[in-house]
Amino acid sequence: MIKMPSTKGRKVSRRDFLELAAVTASIGPFFLFPRRAFASQQTLKIAKWSHFVPEFDVWFESAAKNWGNEHDTKVVVDKLPLETIRATATAEVQVGNGHDVFIFPWPPAEYYEHAIDHGDVYQRVASKYGAIPQLAHRSTFNPKNRKYFAFADFWAPSPLHFFQDYWAEIGMPLGPVHYGSLRSGGRKLRDKFDIPCGLAFTPTLEGNVTLHTILYAFRAWILDGNGDLLFNKNVFASLALKYIQALYQDSGTPDQLSWGPAGNVEAMLARKTSSTTNAISLLRAAEKQDPRVATKIWLQPPLLGSNGMGVTALPHVTNCSVVWSFSQNQNAARQFLADMIDSSRTGYEKSLGCNFPVYPKTVPDLVVRLSKDPQADPSYKYSELKDALHWTPNLGVPGFATPAFMEVFNTSLVPRMVQSVLRGERSPEDAAATAAVEIQRIVDKWK
Amino acid sequence: MKSIRKHAAIFVAVLALVGVLFVVVPNLPAQNSNGVGSASFNRGSANFNPPPCDYNDTFYQDNGLDPTQLVGRFGTDRQTGPPATGNQVNWVADTNCGINDPNRRNFRILATTGGFPDDGSGSPTEFISILAFVANQTAFETTYSRTVGAINGGLDGDQQNAGSTISIANSQNPRSIAMQDIVSNFEGYAALKQRLPNGTFAMNPCAPDMVSPLAPATPCFPVNTVNAVFTPNLRQDWRFATNRNAMDGSDNNCVGTDPAVCPDGISDTPFGYFCDDLLGMWILTYFWYTVDPANPGPVCGPILAALDQKNGVSLDGTPIILTADELNNQLEANGCGAEGQEAVDGSDGGAVWLVCPAIPDPRNGAIARDAFLDQVVLPNGAPQNPALTQNFLSLQQSGNFPNNASVSKPQSQKPRSQTALGRGSGGVMK
Repeated sequence: MIKMPSTKGRKVSRRDFLELAAVTASIGPFFLFPRRAFASQQTLKIAKWSHFVPEFDVWFESAAKNWGNEHDTKVVVDKLPLETIRATATAEVQVGNGHDVFIFPWPPAEYYEHAIDHGDVYQRVASKYGAIPQLAHRSTFNPKNRKYFAFADFWAPSPLHFFQDYWAEIGMPLGPVHYGSLRSGGRKLRDKFDIPCGLAFTPTLEGNVTLHTILYAFRAWILDGNGDLLFNKNVFASLALKYIQALYQDSGTPDQLSWGPAGNVEAMLARKTSSTTNAISLLRAAEKQDPRVATKIWLQPPLLGSNGMGVTALPHVTNCSVVWSFSQNQNAARQFLADMIDSSRTGYEKSLGCNFPVYPKTVPDLVVRLSKDPQADPSYKYSELKDALHWTPNLGVPGFATPAFMEVFNTSLVPRMVQSVLRGERSPEDAAATAAVEIQRIVDKWK
Repeated sequence: MKSIRKHAAIFVAVLALVGVLFVVVPNLPAQNSNGVGSASFNRGSANFNPPPCDYNDTFYQDNGLDPTQLVGRFGTDRQTGPPATGNQVNWVADTNCGINDPNRRNFRILATTGGFPDDGSGSPTEFISILAFVANQTAFETTYSRTVGAINGGLDGDQQNAGSTISIANSQNPRSIAMQDIVSNFEGYAALKQRLPNGTFAMNPCAPDMVSPLAPATPCFPVNTVNAVFTPNLRQDWRFATNRNAMDGSDNNCVGTDPAVCPDGISDTPFGYFCDDLLGMWILTYFWYTVDPANPGPVCGPILAALDQKNGVSLDGTPIILTADELNNQLEANGCGAEGQEAVDGSDGGAVWLVCPAIPDPRNGAIARDAFLDQVVLPNGAPQNPALTQNFLSLQQSGNFPNNASVSKPQSQKPRSQTALGRGSGGVMK
């Protein structure tokens, strides 16, 4: 029990009395007259992408409204399908009106001219949770104007999901480990059981992340560290495309070219494919829909890359919030973003572990949680993610998430290039060369 | 008076201790230089840095590997034959192994394989013991359990301790890490000879999924047995990835998210080679040329020529590759080379992983008197890399690198134009 200090016998001096009176006079009115007494209640409008885990969105809306109640602010949350995020954001900046906070699942570098500098949001958070982590810095900093165009609070790793029982049948019970074995094992599975490999090659978030990861893992980098074109300036681009072509021909399915959003997830849930890369929302969905299927899905860190790239995969999600420069409630928006970091732990839980906190201090026992997950069977299944931060670089690596890189990403240039090869429309060399021209045009545009 | 006596007693004790040190320390250099009467460089100090021995079965199992699935395990197989030549043996029985380290079994390794760290220095300072090969993923245990430290009735029956369990479930160890995941972070690079016995230069390995599209699939060089990576089949010495970071980042590898530490945004492996990869395992990455050195073409020709000048030539007449930059950014980026791993189900037939622990500190006794250096040699028997030999002999004889330096740079090797192994010399097989 905490003992309160005794004030017995203490006399109040004239000086103390005057100080108390002055303080009371200065802050008293704020207690007596709520903000709404001075002006009408402000509204904070938030647009956010629809999370893969619906429970997270339910919680987020509730948490945002609670924050609003505490700050005398009406909070409106609009959930947008992933596919409409970019169009909606573009429309808002074109008319200079819309939401106050716009939350993207990727770094919205393209909109840097319409965003406030979020450096002060990072500073507000720093006093509690430390300096900006690398992944956030490189995902939201514009080295050109040296401002932060967004604020990142969580990210989602993208491990390999594979059906252990399928892969055990062809002598790889622990998964394919490297890209060569993904191809050879995938071929055996398709030949033997008619179960194709299920990587997404579509112009969707899943396809974009998967294919950018493969390119990166084969050292076929889009831009160099300075943001200049690197793609197809060496043989890595065409070699990566040839690998994808061989993987598709040996072990794929035409469905990989036509899936809609989360098509790779649905195929896995139906046990129609042998493996894919995705956020763990896939496994969470399996745990909810069919626990028997979930027990057969194992996770593995990303595949070992080629040409010295090691084990690596880009993040499935980098949750980045933008306060538009035309927002009427910039201060409230800034405060909201900073305050939401306090809820990172709950966000992690409500997202069923999908949302890895940008600030590790907010979920200090992350590794323990991963090793003892209440939904997982076995409970330590998710511990494969414990070093995810080490194998997850930012979108735009080896440089920053620049406007040019993010336009390449958001226009699905890479999936389109890959599809042109897989559909037989272009050779890998031709597709790489054509894409390089398009990338150069984008780079030039942003210069 | 009591106090004086007490202090005098302490003084005498300290004096005695110092005396003992004086007795012991001067003998050390003498032992070092003479290596008297023992296989070990310094038996007196062998306990703190003993030469390498094979692990015992329990230690393999504790670390997630089934010892019965090891291929070519030292202590069981391969006592003679490559890398040993003539009267050499690769390992000997030695009862000190288990005494020095209870995780070892009593077979001491004499074959000491030299190589290059992939840190850009090109310094031949790595020494490893290729204890065994792993050719199939099934060698990684999926379930295992052993109780250690249990005490039932110690101290006159009073002491009870249930002990702790070392368990592997779903292939994960008690720290929830799969050994396979750890090992995949450490790449050992093998450079197999590409020149076939008939003199043809093969530009791809004989494994369908390793074939680089940069060159014809046939003729190909064999990779279908673990013997393929035996030293007589290598064109140059081994290279080892240098992401073997210390857990605390003290070796300046990137182990965190601090931009000041990892400015390129890429963290190195989260695992420490010497603290997580306790078996010293590596995933085997084969690297090869995809152009014929006799006709490298206008793009690769100048690159190969520059590497020739810098590093000298391999037994194939191709340039020796010492660093990741040379392989990745100069050769592979320009279509002159490729790399790959064998299928993890063993279907390619050769080694997928190696159990070849690097000697943590090769100084002060770790290189025994009777050990021999396993390195690539020229047809005339001279070492391809004399600096490696120099380092080894110095470590073996004096317990230190030459000139007491921590490392010795390789001697400049002759480019192919100045050796008998000129481009197109063909058929240069040991």
